[in-house]
Amino acid sequence: MSDTKVIMALFKDPDAVANSLDKLRAEGISDHDMVVISGVPYPAQVLGRPMVWEKLPWISLTGAAIGFMTGIFLNAGTPLLYPIHVGGQALIPIPPTAVLTYELTMMGLIISTFLGVLWESAFPSFGPKYYDPALTHGRIGILFQCPTQNEDELQEMLKAQGAERVYHPERRPL
Amino acid sequence: MSSESAAQNPSLVWPEEEDHSEHLLLDPRPVEEMHGILLDAMQRTGRGFWILVSFLGSLVLIGLVGAWGFQIRWGMGVAGIRRPVFWGLYITNFVFWIGISHSGTFISAILRIFKAEFRRPITRASELMTTFSLLVAGMYPLIHLGRTWRFYWMVPYPNQRQLWPNFHSPLMWDMLAIFTYLIGSTLYLFLPLIPDLAMARDHTKGWRQKLYRIFSLGWRGTEAEWHHLKLAITIFAFAIVPVMFSVHTIVSWDFGMTMKVGWSSSIFGPYFVTGAIFSGVSAVITVLLLVRKSMKLDYFLRAEHFDSLGKLILVFSFAWTYFFFADYLTEWYGGEAVGQQLLTLQARGPVAPLWYLMLVCNIAIPWLTLWNRRVRRSTVGLFVVTLGVNVGMYIERYIIVTGFLTRNRLPFDWGVYNPTIVEVLISIGSLSAFILFYALASRIIPLVPVWEVREGQISHTLRRIGRAMVPSVADLD
Repeated sequence: MSDTKVIMALFKDPDAVANSLDKLRAEGISDHDMVVISGVPYPAQVLGRPMVWEKLPWISLTGAAIGFMTGIFLNAGTPLLYPIHVGGQALIPIPPTAVLTYELTMMGLIISTFLGVLWESAFPSFGPKYYDPALTHGRIGILFQCPTQNEDELQEMLKAQGAERVYHPERRPL
Repeated sequence: MSSESAAQNPSLVWPEEEDHSEHLLLDPRPVEEMHGILLDAMQRTGRGFWILVSFLGSLVLIGLVGAWGFQIRWGMGVAGIRRPVFWGLYITNFVFWIGISHSGTFISAILRIFKAEFRRPITRASELMTTFSLLVAGMYPLIHLGRTWRFYWMVPYPNQRQLWPNFHSPLMWDMLAIFTYLIGSTLYLFLPLIPDLAMARDHTKGWRQKLYRIFSLGWRGTEAEWHHLKLAITIFAFAIVPVMFSVHTIVSWDFGMTMKVGWSSSIFGPYFVTGAIFSGVSAVITVLLLVRKSMKLDYFLRAEHFDSLGKLILVFSFAWTYFFFADYLTEWYGGEAVGQQLLTLQARGPVAPLWYLMLVCNIAIPWLTLWNRRVRRSTVGLFVVTLGVNVGMYIERYIIVTGFLTRNRLPFDWGVYNPTIVEVLISIGSLSAFILFYALASRIIPLVPVWEVREGQISHTLRRIGRAMVPSVADLD
């Protein structure tokens, strides 16, 4: 790690960011070593970044399945634990069971989706990170690490691509 | 070419090119300025604001501490509910506030799914209404319970006799549906708020910065964070819409599942949901007009947004009228004796003035005014119409809940219902609590999702087609 440097380049224009990412790739910086930070979401295809396999839908589905099973237990399981037969009615009637099972399935889906976002994004995380408040003011940042010997050359290239500022960022608590 | 044609034929007049800068998404300003407008509005708390807060706080104390405490001390006898009207103002308020809670989800989730671009600056303010109105609505079953402390009997755990709650009761469905909706809408409010909280964290100081730091969870705005957030918002949007429909449908089933004439109706589900969206969106407009005026958010909240929302109100007024008439006609045509009594009660009985006022507020005024673009864009006009709609919708719930209970199949058991001062004070207290929560939250929570507005501004451009400059939208999703 001692022979690498972390560099932040701030841009105004997404086109310049996409071009700079291409140039950085051509210089041997892998997508894994680059992070784009912005105050507005730019889809991966806009910046020419690789699509990321997303676990969130599976986490949501797992939560929905847990909610569904909880619904089945409460509606169908608890009457069996303490059966009360009333007026010849079914002990486990299907229509009311469907209503509550549906609600609990949705609750499981919603809670697990929220927890999934926290898990996937490693939130909350207040420790020091490379960041610049200018990023919330409309700038787009490319944060990357590169070999020390390439640093000057890459800085020049990024400025030529339209970077407003290229610098060594500091880790700051968020 | 156009001027030549016009010269040859004087009756041909080319319209002046539209000024597109009236559209927020075609009128971008520097990001610093947009953040400044919002943060300044949040930090502006003058004497008038604190007088309002003190006044509302006093009403909350009188209603929700004094009057409710009095009822808990002396029992439900202090309320006006007695045979045959056992559901009074509390259940009316419950249904009304659940209806208001449909505002946020409808505007935010449904319009997001359909990519209605005008939603962008108004989603947060309406989602906040959903959360607070659900909190107020959730209070009413507790108030109506009388022995509020026995609420835990509804919680699904076996008591010492190994007895579980009856999950097949519509009242149990209510509790779980409201919890699901409250959790869902609160998380749906919070998730898109994170980037704006991070923005506020970066540009405030003192206690605000500490607060925003905690709730922004360490957000930086990396691609991965945005990707997870956007995906989660999409999942939420699709999940919360059916939950929204289910909540008010289940509330309607509290009535529909009974054997009571006037209530036992298969149309009550969609009728209640339509009414809820009608009143919810109207309430959003009322609140947005007040927010724009009091917080000076004219840049974000523009005539175009109220114009679009006004059209929605008109459409939902049509839809509500359709369901109302379908329900009314079925009862009228059926000719069942008690049903006829209910119709007479509305048309010529003690509730007739309220019933006609409801028809005026929900049908006549919206139909006569909202077709007009100038009314939809007028602050005063739209404020009066939307406030009227909520008066009308409250009356509708009051008549369905309390009016219908005064008549049943046993004429000796007919009665009247007059709410007591305790019920009225609790109702005023809860309304004040809603306004108070909203007023305080408006000074802490960024009411406009600036990142969504900026995202919209990036994807909107003017494109020349033929001789006209036409707004066009790039689908960035």
